[in-house]
Amino acid sequence: MVKKIAVYGAYQARIPFKQRFWKTRKDGIHQRYWKLTRRKKTVESKGRYEFHGKGKDLYQAVIKAHRIMPRGFVDVSAEEFLRHPEKYGFEGEWIDREVES
Amino acid sequence: MTEKSRASPVLGLSDDETVKLDFDDASLRTVRYWASRAVKWFKLDGFIILRSSKNRYHVVFDRVVSWGENMRIVAWVALLSHNKGLARWFLMQCIKGCSTLRVSPKREKASPRIVERYSKQDENIKAFLKIRKMIKKMWKNCHF
Repeated sequence: MVKKIAVYGAYQARIPFKQRFWKTRKDGIHQRYWKLTRRKKTVESKGRYEFHGKGKDLYQAVIKAHRIMPRGFVDVSAEEFLRHPEKYGFEGEWIDREVES
Repeated sequence: MTEKSRASPVLGLSDDETVKLDFDDASLRTVRYWASRAVKWFKLDGFIILRSSKNRYHVVFDRVVSWGENMRIVAWVALLSHNKGLARWFLMQCIKGCSTLRVSPKREKASPRIVERYSKQDENIKAFLKIRKMIKKMWKNCHF
């Protein structure tokens, strides 16, 4: 297994979330459904990237990871992350909070 | 209670073929003792000890091992040394499937410094130090 660079910590980000709606069906049943709206909420969470790949890609990926917060545990090649960063995270900022390695 | 002031993520090094230990609340003497016992018992060739912060040390061994053997060694040390920090760290690494040690500074802690070297260092330790150097350079370029 290759050696990987771990980028981890706690972050704060504004993420889109599903909102609850209700509709009354023709048969009279009041049904709940969820819809992804344009609203966003601020969340604090912990996340982690595990990057592998070539030196230049790794360097660029680490710089990009300062702006793009990971969606949970992301194990990806640096090249792939640089190609589609939005697939692996969302915009936010890192915060100072104790995390485990 | 969060501080947003220009915080940055922590950079570390992960892999599954290097035996690493993370001691909390242990003296250098204790860490040296357990590293020496492990290196002899499991024939790990050599080790380096890094000081992470006060009474916190990292140990990296030289021989390449499989993930199973790696965890067997860490579990052995964690069980015999009764170090709670190490036992907790061991469980975390089992969940992740690879072991990680910090390289960059973290909050008020500086990046880990090498405080001791023992015997052979030309396999995993060499690779570890090479990538550590690269990560430190990256971190410097990102923040200055």
